[in-house]
Amino acid sequence: MSSLGPDTTAAAGPPSVPPAAAQVRVTRARRSTLAAAAAVVLIVAVLAYLPYLVYSGTTNLLVNFFTLLIMASMWNLLAGYAGLVSVGQQAFVGLGAYGVLLLASHGTSPFLAIPVATAACAVLGLPVWWLVSRLRSGYFAITMWVIASVCELIISQIPSFGGGTGTGLPGLPGNPTLLTADTYWATLACAVLALGVVYLLLRSRIGLVLTAVRDDETGARSVGVRVASTQRLVFLVAAAGCGVAGALYIVSQQFVEPTAAFSVLWSAKMIFITVIGGIGTIEGPIIGTIIYFVLQQTLAQYGTWYFIALGLVAMAIAIWARRGIWGLIADRFGIRLFGVGYWLSPAGPPDRDRGSR
Amino acid sequence: MPEPAGPDLLRLDGVCKSFGKVVVADRLSLTVGAGDLVGIVGPNGAGKSSLFGLIAGDLRPSAGQIVFAGRPVTRLDATARCRMGIGRTFQVPRPFGGMTVLENVLVAVQQGAGLRRRPSYAAAAAVLDRTGLLGDANIPAERLGLLSRKRLEVARALATGPDLLLLDEVAGGLTDPEVAELVTIVRGISAQGVAVVWIEHVLHALTATVHRLLCLAGGTFIGDGAPAEVLALPEVREVFLGTEVTASLHQAGPRLADGQDREDR
Repeated sequence: MSSLGPDTTAAAGPPSVPPAAAQVRVTRARRSTLAAAAAVVLIVAVLAYLPYLVYSGTTNLLVNFFTLLIMASMWNLLAGYAGLVSVGQQAFVGLGAYGVLLLASHGTSPFLAIPVATAACAVLGLPVWWLVSRLRSGYFAITMWVIASVCELIISQIPSFGGGTGTGLPGLPGNPTLLTADTYWATLACAVLALGVVYLLLRSRIGLVLTAVRDDETGARSVGVRVASTQRLVFLVAAAGCGVAGALYIVSQQFVEPTAAFSVLWSAKMIFITVIGGIGTIEGPIIGTIIYFVLQQTLAQYGTWYFIALGLVAMAIAIWARRGIWGLIADRFGIRLFGVGYWLSPAGPPDRDRGSR
Repeated sequence: MPEPAGPDLLRLDGVCKSFGKVVVADRLSLTVGAGDLVGIVGPNGAGKSSLFGLIAGDLRPSAGQIVFAGRPVTRLDATARCRMGIGRTFQVPRPFGGMTVLENVLVAVQQGAGLRRRPSYAAAAAVLDRTGLLGDANIPAERLGLLSRKRLEVARALATGPDLLLLDEVAGGLTDPEVAELVTIVRGISAQGVAVVWIEHVLHALTATVHRLLCLAGGTFIGDGAPAEVLALPEVREVFLGTEVTASLHQAGPRLADGQDREDR
């Protein structure tokens, strides 16, 4: 506690005379946000230029990175904001992948098939939501997993999709350099779009609603929040987001099989990344994906020990840093990269009061 | 009994609710007029907070009807009732901890009162001003002290633009000067024509503010009228002399048997 000087007699009263409501104004962006916006533009520009600078090994790695980033951001939106913990998001990953396969086998360019398959996943999300919307917590999570498994079983019965053994994706360009670069750009564009959608969603009126639901669902209902319709919107956005990730997955692998496309490992990765990065923040999944890739690149050569290390990291974060790595950073330095909040000025303190920890 | 200040805003007809063997509402009937300022007292476990849950839509009654602003709302959920004009606070504050005080109020203005953009900002600022929270607007709600949390509960409920405001022990745990500040805020809200129903253990705050006092015990009203008259009733005095345990046991006994009878048939 810092001393404010000799004038401590007025401790019981308000610290300063607040101005009247007419004298204040509400603003959105803050300085750290503007800096972050400039940084985002710069980073995206550099990333877009990357295929001219580095070998395909690096861009292929980044394709995986962006695909996981999209998935983790969507899972974060679902679980971190709408309170919908799902272990069945691989349903939409697989459906997105097979959507691209279906269109490409009928002559559509795989790259053009990506947005169509994404939209199809959002549409398919509606009946799925109708099924699972009545369920809560564990029941919701497990039912989503069941739905994913049912999708996998149905797809593996279809001979034209290669059945259970999988099939290659037709219609891709023959030039390997061009294919690598195109895949990379498509993935980068989708990742930027997906994160942009998440950011705009959270910055809109719905963002305030989602954050309120995240913090206290009963409280949210009591101030007139329509929790169910908000959850439905987020569910459909996450369905589309996981669908686009699946579409990018099949394009980058040029091959798909049901067990891999509908693997529960997708959800496990989404959960791991979101939890270590920081659930309920936009920045969390980004930090989480970076950490996940650093761990993967440095530890993958140790085989089983790599998975043990991943597990230990997740447990340590879950026990000692419930709000993830980004939670630690944000608390320590009082920063927020993506400004979705509101700011009252000049009544409030000039910045978040960093001293009171 | 004093006449209601206006036409009936809220009416409860024979509302029943029990959790297992615990009866929290036993054929409760109540009317609150527009602009009324009503206090509710009663021992712990009398069903006071449950009554608010029933009015605000968090609890479904097992029997009876609730009418608000001339429309039956018994089947509507808490969201719909809030949007119709029922604002409530919670006994244990439920702030949106990760959001700032301003954002807490803003989401209530936008969802409960249906305002958008600049009008919603202005309304939120006005509510913060009235509840003395302007200076705390940019602080995350989880960092607020008890008084500010209680104020935020009132501010958030007020921000939904209610015709009926349900206050659940907003003065509990506060010092006398803090209670006085809250009483001033509540009087200000009432003066603007909002009907207020206020549950409170801090009796002197309540009796100095309300025009009408109800005493709830064992799921039924055992007193209804001017505060001084109600507090002078022998049944009410018995409850407040600390003999409520034995008294409610005597009352609850036959009623429980009655309820089980009805279930068996």
